[in-house]
Amino acid sequence: MDRRVAIVGIGQTRYETGKTESLDEIAFEAASKALADAGITRDEVDNVVIAASDQLDGRPISSMTLACPAGGYLKDEVKASDDGTLAVVLACLRLLSGVFHTSLVVSWCKCSEVPTAKVTNLSFDPFFHRDLGLNHINALSFQVNSYLSRYPISEWVPAKIVVKNRANAMGNPYAHLVEEVSLEEVVQSPIVCPPLRQLHLPLECDGACALVLTTRERVRLTTQKPVWISGLGWAMDSYYLGERDLHQLSSVAKAARQAYQRAGIKKPIDEIDVAEINELSAYHEIMAYEALDFCTPGEGYKLVEEGSTELTGKIPVNPSGGALAASPLFAAGLVRIAEAALQVRGDAGERQVTGVRTALAASCYGICAQGSSVFILSQES
Amino acid sequence: MMKEKRELVSVPGKWDISFNYAAGKTVSHFLAQIRDNGRILGMKCAKCHRVMVPPRSFCERCFVPAEDWVELGDEGVVEAFTIVHDVFEGSPPPPYAIAYVKLDGADTALANFVDGLDLSDISEATQRLKIGARVKVEFASRREGRITDFKYRIIG
Repeated sequence: MDRRVAIVGIGQTRYETGKTESLDEIAFEAASKALADAGITRDEVDNVVIAASDQLDGRPISSMTLACPAGGYLKDEVKASDDGTLAVVLACLRLLSGVFHTSLVVSWCKCSEVPTAKVTNLSFDPFFHRDLGLNHINALSFQVNSYLSRYPISEWVPAKIVVKNRANAMGNPYAHLVEEVSLEEVVQSPIVCPPLRQLHLPLECDGACALVLTTRERVRLTTQKPVWISGLGWAMDSYYLGERDLHQLSSVAKAARQAYQRAGIKKPIDEIDVAEINELSAYHEIMAYEALDFCTPGEGYKLVEEGSTELTGKIPVNPSGGALAASPLFAAGLVRIAEAALQVRGDAGERQVTGVRTALAASCYGICAQGSSVFILSQES
Repeated sequence: MMKEKRELVSVPGKWDISFNYAAGKTVSHFLAQIRDNGRILGMKCAKCHRVMVPPRSFCERCFVPAEDWVELGDEGVVEAFTIVHDVFEGSPPPPYAIAYVKLDGADTALANFVDGLDLSDISEATQRLKIGARVKVEFASRREGRITDFKYRIIG
């Protein structure tokens, strides 16, 4: 059996707040766009893998109402109640098993329908943490403060990340925030939990994203240029923040090592042409550079100061604008894979980086990046 | 044909479901000791010798049961902190501070609110609440067997 999987279809809705379409409409929009992009119909799909949060969807076992809008009518369908990238992991494993041949992967989130921080507070255990009012945002500052205590970087470094990502989003027709910001606006934006300010944080919004994945044997049945998944890795850290090395993104580092090993990547900064990272904050993007081994620990700021991760730099990061410009929370990781795949295909329009042959997509999810997945996408199989 | 005004409808929803979470005997004992004796206990793994707090009846790393209770000191060191200035639904009204503290005798850090800080002045607050600062546990006089039965106070 040929053990290779390709992305052959990409579908995205526009990411924006207060979408008036229903959840099933946005799932259908992304899924049908991905099929059209692949040049196939639902008939060619033999399994559907979805990823979403029941709590954010406001529907326990939301796949009950959403499997069919996502393309699952009378098909094999499974759901990961987790980050969108894990649906890609699951789909890859299903295709590599030889049982399935073409997967439709769909993820969505409508942050505007629910107070997301109240939902993530409920994700904490009821004995030790929930009563403290912790959520996915205020907990981030544990990590950032720990990082800064070890590596005291200037506030202008994360500000440059925000300015970069927001400027990049200007070229992304799907992004929520197409409005540039200045360094001064970032460092003067309202404080949320020091040192994190409003503009350092992802812009939570609504949207859906879908991919069509297929095996090497079936690629010829689609009309699209295949983007090969040449490496992937995923890892889970401890739930207990008091047991973790909070100054580093351990799950990202573990997932990256697996992905690099599978893809045969020795020196990521030289071998990867562009990266899409689901940055949980501007500081987290810097921490991710280190975890992804683009530089040594504590040296992420140098890549920012040198402009290495800007559109014209050595390794552009988040040409789409990343999560800072649009984050449909549970689907935000899948968007990173979609955007990285568009870069490899050369179909990223105004945000296209020149000469991309190999791209990286990384997602962080859970409280303080408890989990992470990393994908290497390439033109060649 | 007359142009029809298209109305967009949204329907409100609210989940109101009661749960009753069993704490298990290890966490129950930990919470009862806080309530009844103002003592914080850790659980030691017989294999890796880590003293875990919050305690668990097993070590998730060695993947073996754990049953050796260890009494921890009522002071410790700040390992991580967050000072929250924004309003979040489901969280206390800001500002408030939460620290992960490695209590004397523990190998892991335990989170709780930090009391006695003027949080209105951020630079002042972060001068005092920083990684490495020593804190003392202060128990409430009326305790109900919850993590909120105590807070941390910075002592240096």
